[in-house]
Amino acid sequence: MSPAGGALSAGTQATGTHAIGAAEISLVFDQATVDLDALQRSAYAVAAEMTVDIRISGADYVCTLFPRTQDTVDDELKHRFRAEVNDQILRARIAKETEPLRNLVFALAFSQTGLVEAEASE
Amino acid sequence: MKLERAATMLPAHGWQLLPLRFHRIDPGSLVLTNLVGEHVFVTPDELSTVVDGTCADQELLARLRAAHLIQVPGETLPAELLAIKLRTRMRRLQDSTGLHIFVVTLRCEHTCRYCQVSRQAAAKSEFDMTEEAARRALELAFRSPSPQLKIELQGGEPLLNFPLVRWIVAEASRMNKEYGKDLEFVIATNLALLDEEILDFCAKEQIHISTSLDGPQDLHNSNRRRPGRDSWQQAVAGIRRVQDRLGTDRVSALMTTTDASLSRAAEIIDTYAELGLRGVFLRPISPYGFALRRRGGANYDVDRWLEFYEAGLGQIVELNRQGVPMVEIYASIIAKKILTNADPCYVDLTSPAGIGIGALVYNYDGEIYASDEGRMLAEMGDRTFRLGNVHDSSYADVMLSDSLLNPLTESITLSAPMCTTCAFEPYCGADPVFHHATMGDFTGHKALSAFCRRNMGVFTLLLRKMRDDPYFCDLMRRWTQ
Repeated sequence: MSPAGGALSAGTQATGTHAIGAAEISLVFDQATVDLDALQRSAYAVAAEMTVDIRISGADYVCTLFPRTQDTVDDELKHRFRAEVNDQILRARIAKETEPLRNLVFALAFSQTGLVEAEASE
Repeated sequence: MKLERAATMLPAHGWQLLPLRFHRIDPGSLVLTNLVGEHVFVTPDELSTVVDGTCADQELLARLRAAHLIQVPGETLPAELLAIKLRTRMRRLQDSTGLHIFVVTLRCEHTCRYCQVSRQAAAKSEFDMTEEAARRALELAFRSPSPQLKIELQGGEPLLNFPLVRWIVAEASRMNKEYGKDLEFVIATNLALLDEEILDFCAKEQIHISTSLDGPQDLHNSNRRRPGRDSWQQAVAGIRRVQDRLGTDRVSALMTTTDASLSRAAEIIDTYAELGLRGVFLRPISPYGFALRRRGGANYDVDRWLEFYEAGLGQIVELNRQGVPMVEIYASIIAKKILTNADPCYVDLTSPAGIGIGALVYNYDGEIYASDEGRMLAEMGDRTFRLGNVHDSSYADVMLSDSLLNPLTESITLSAPMCTTCAFEPYCGADPVFHHATMGDFTGHKALSAFCRRNMGVFTLLLRKMRDDPYFCDLMRRWTQ
C-alpha cells in the first residue's frame, strides 16, 4: 500500500488535473470500516460518470471524484459514489459468506463431466 | 396444515445465504439472482434483513429458499440441484461449434448503407468461393463434435452463386450419411433473385430462408439500396412466395436499426405482422466498417436504442394482447436464460463467448474467421480473428489457435471485472470482437462498454416488466417454448 499522497488506483491521474480553481469533490472513508477493494471496485463501476482518485490519509481513504461532464451536481456525485461503495461492501460480504458453497456447487457441477478424471489420468 | 407450516418457519439466523448477486432495478427494488439466474425481487430493507439474519417475513424466506438463494444449514439438496442446473447450462461446451457460415460470394446487387463488408459488383466472379474451398470447409465443419450442424449460406448475396449453394447442400448431405448429424441449411438472402428453380430446390432440401426486412417500404428502401429502388418490394414478394410454397415457418426476417428507424418502432412491427412474420429481432446496428460512415446509419447511442427497443417491445406485447402472436427474438432468448436452464446458444450471450466454439465463418477465399464480425474487421484490415485457411489448416489448428483461445479466455464472465459481481451474469455473455473493435482489448472496460450498457438496459427492462405486468410475465414464459 502506498504512503500518504501515493495514488493507489482508479484509472485517473493524480489530483490537480481538474480545472484550476474548481473545488475538489472529496469523500472520506474510514479504513476500519471500508476495504480498499470495495473502493476500487466502486471506482471501476462508476467510470462512465466519474473517475476517482484514491489516497491514504492517516486512518482514512480520501476519494477525490472527477465528474466526466460539467453539469454534474457535487452532492449527487457523492451520493452516487457512496451508494456504489455501500453496494460493493454488501457484495463483498455476501461473496465471502457464500464462497465455500459456491466452490462446492462448482466442484459438484464439474465432478461429473469426466474432465476431472481425464485430468487426473494425464 | 398448521404443523407443516410451523415446520417450514425459519427462526432468526435460521438460514444461510447461498451464492447470490443483486442489482437495483429501480430505487425501491432489487433483483436477486443465484448462480444459474433464478431470481426474486426484494426491497433494499428486505435484502438487509436477509443478509443480517433478522428477516421475519416467512413468505419471503420461503420464496428465497425455493429459488435457491438461501438454505437451512446442513441441507445438501440445494447445492446438488444448483450443480445440476449449472452443468445443464454449460452443456453446450461439450458439443462445440454448431453453426458454420459459408460466404459463398462477396458479390451483391444491393448497396446497403450499413453494409459492413466490402461487397463486390455482381459480375465479379473472382469473389466467389470455389468448390474446392467449400469441400475443405465442409470437411472442417463435420469435424465438429456437435451432433447438430447448421450450415448457413450467405454473402454478399448467395443466390448470385447459386450453383455453389446447390453443390454445398448436395455434398454436405452426402457426407452426412457417414456422420449422421442433425443437419440443417439456411440461406441468408435478400430474396431479390428468388425464382421457381430456387424455390423448388429449397422445398426439396427443406432449406430455411433468412432475409432482411427493415420495416416499412420507404425506410427499407432508404437503408437497402439496389437498382430500381425496389428492395422492399422484392423482399416482400419473396417472403410471400416462400410462405406460400414452403410454409410460414420456413422464412424469417431480420431488421437492422438505423438512426432513421428510431422513431418508427411500431411501424416496423406492424410491417412484420402484416406479412404474417411471427418473430422480430430488434437489432442494433453493428459498429463496424461502413456503418460508421456519416451516412451509415449508426449515429445513435445506446440510450436512444433502448428507447426504440422498449417502444418496439411494447408494440409486440400489444399485438399479442390483441390475439396476434408475435415474438421479439432477443427477449425470447433472454427469457430462456431467465426462466429456464436451457441455453439458447446465442453467440453474443454466452460465456465463454460464442466465437469459434459457437460459430465458424468460411470466407469466399478460404479464410476462416471466429465470427462474421471478425470477418468484417478483416475486410477493414484487422485480421485479429482470422483462425486459418481451409486449404492449409487442420481442425486442431483452427480450434487451438491463439487467435481463438486468447479472446475466449478473456471472455469468461465469471472472471471479468464487474461481471463477477453482476446479478445479470447468468443471462449475459461476452463479445470480444465488439470490445476489440470499440475499445482495443478483448475484455473491454465494462463500465464504459456499449455492449454492457445495452444488455444491462434490456435485462432491467424485461425484469421490471415481468415484475409489474403478469401478462408480460406469462408471455415471456410462452416465449421460452
